Amino acid sequence: MKPNLEIEIAGVRFKNPVTVASGTFGYAEEFEHLIDLDALGGIVTKSITRKERPGHPPPRTHETSAGMLNAIGLANVGIERFIDEKIPFLKKLKTVIIVNVAGSSLDEYVEVCRMLEKAGGFDMIELNVSCPNVDRGGMEFGTDPDAMIKVIAAVRDVTTRPVIAKLSPNVTSIATIAKAAQQGGAAAVSLINTLVGMAVDIETRKPCLTNGTGGLSGPAIKPVAIAMVHKVYKEINIPIIGIGGISDWRDAVEFHLVGALGLQVGTANFIQPDATMHIIKGLQTYLSGHNIESINDLVGKVRM
Amino acid sequence: MKKTIPQICRVINNRRLDTKGSYYELTLELGHKTKKIFPGHFVHIKTGAGLDPFFRRAFSIAGVDSENRISIIYKIVGKGTALLGQLQKDDTVDIIGPLGNFFSVPDKKQTVVIAAGGVGLPPLLYFAEYLLSKKHPADKILFFYGGRTKDDLLKRKEIKKLGIPFYPCTDDGSFGFHGLITEAIEANLSKLECDKTSIYGCGPEPMLAALQRLAMDHSLNGEISLEAPMPCGVGVCLGCIKPRLDKPNSYVRVCYEGPVFKIGEVKL
Repeated sequence: MKPNLEIEIAGVRFKNPVTVASGTFGYAEEFEHLIDLDALGGIVTKSITRKERPGHPPPRTHETSAGMLNAIGLANVGIERFIDEKIPFLKKLKTVIIVNVAGSSLDEYVEVCRMLEKAGGFDMIELNVSCPNVDRGGMEFGTDPDAMIKVIAAVRDVTTRPVIAKLSPNVTSIATIAKAAQQGGAAAVSLINTLVGMAVDIETRKPCLTNGTGGLSGPAIKPVAIAMVHKVYKEINIPIIGIGGISDWRDAVEFHLVGALGLQVGTANFIQPDATMHIIKGLQTYLSGHNIESINDLVGKVRM
Repeated sequence: MKKTIPQICRVINNRRLDTKGSYYELTLELGHKTKKIFPGHFVHIKTGAGLDPFFRRAFSIAGVDSENRISIIYKIVGKGTALLGQLQKDDTVDIIGPLGNFFSVPDKKQTVVIAAGGVGLPPLLYFAEYLLSKKHPADKILFFYGGRTKDDLLKRKEIKKLGIPFYPCTDDGSFGFHGLITEAIEANLSKLECDKTSIYGCGPEPMLAALQRLAMDHSLNGEISLEAPMPCGVGVCLGCIKPRLDKPNSYVRVCYEGPVFKIGEVKL
């Protein structure tokens, strides 16, 4: 019997739990010649802001041990060009389209989501309230429970689509923030965004990134992400989408076991553009091998 | 549509190009058919099986033979290239490619000035061979090749064999013209008609900056191929960017809009 990989989040059905993380997959068109996009459970776009942003000056990525630092600075085409140039391609795909929205004020989040709602052609919104790389990039909404409740409630007023809150690990208690997201009306939470990190060139004595600090991602952060998903799973009732160093199907199983229903593959897309395809196949084989009927039966089944 | 997925290639040959042993030529047999390869295309190579180095490394394709074998030329400068240096015949390598854009082919009436600096040689040697195969007149392809010393000028015999005017130059004067490649080009410019001359360059960024200035000062058109550390190589990480010269406050991705750019497009 072929195991069932289907999951459902707030009425949206995913053919499998494997989606791609914002900022690691462009607007999907870049990957069209690399993998079968329709085979993905879903696609999360690059963060979209009200106005086009060039991002920070280079260097804005830096290789680290088993990972990387980035401080791209929310470079994106802006909501108008996104609607005109990117949605027509995305809406033809037979997979769940999640638009990631970033802003530097409550009004910006609301305005971008209102424009998206009018344009249509997507399934869900993910709010980036956790970008560590910009002065005002929503991080204040992701670190303060009251601000989190407010931003989600405000966005929900202008959209019919389910809203996912993407959480920052750079907080004292991620569970507190997750509970706030739930209280605000989030359909799900996704975690973790990158960890703040820094590297210094010992010859020039300057930071390796123009921005100084950046966000650490890749296999190096997976244990942190696993611990945080595990913690949040015990505290909330809405689904969790696990993110953080997922590179193969074993990582995927580990995230499911600690409570992730959905998954986002991020930095692995840079190294192995078909990583997602291997993860989907690997999950199927794992479930068959363990006589598990549905991926849902694996969620939160860690034995403590 | 043909997918450019990672593929495991067999090593045909990995040979030293110089006596010091820091330059190598790696020839790989492609595991499956790819889209057609042109001069300027690059491949993204996983230099080791583990997580260190974490990123792939990008290399311009130095040539393709009739049996679909590609070669790259590299200099050992760090962890990734050191690992490549250890490869033996019949080992396997994980590559993605061909990626990026490629040099445009000029009209046969144009004089083509090729400016290769150091390890910028591979795509331009391939380009010169390609132009000759497309019947571009041999006397209209001028091959300038600059390096620090004589030892840094690779494949001199192969270049000579092409039968095109060859202008080697070295910083220390140990071989050919004594001076910078841009000085060597400038010394020959008076013989050329600017509106019938195109420049094609690849090499270290300071050299390309000087080359671009020279081209713009003399209203020469042409193209340069850039290099940058590339986390993804496929246009999504936005790490390998360069500022645009023709459009302020905006960037190009070296891996996606490039690596080949028109003279005057990128700020160097």
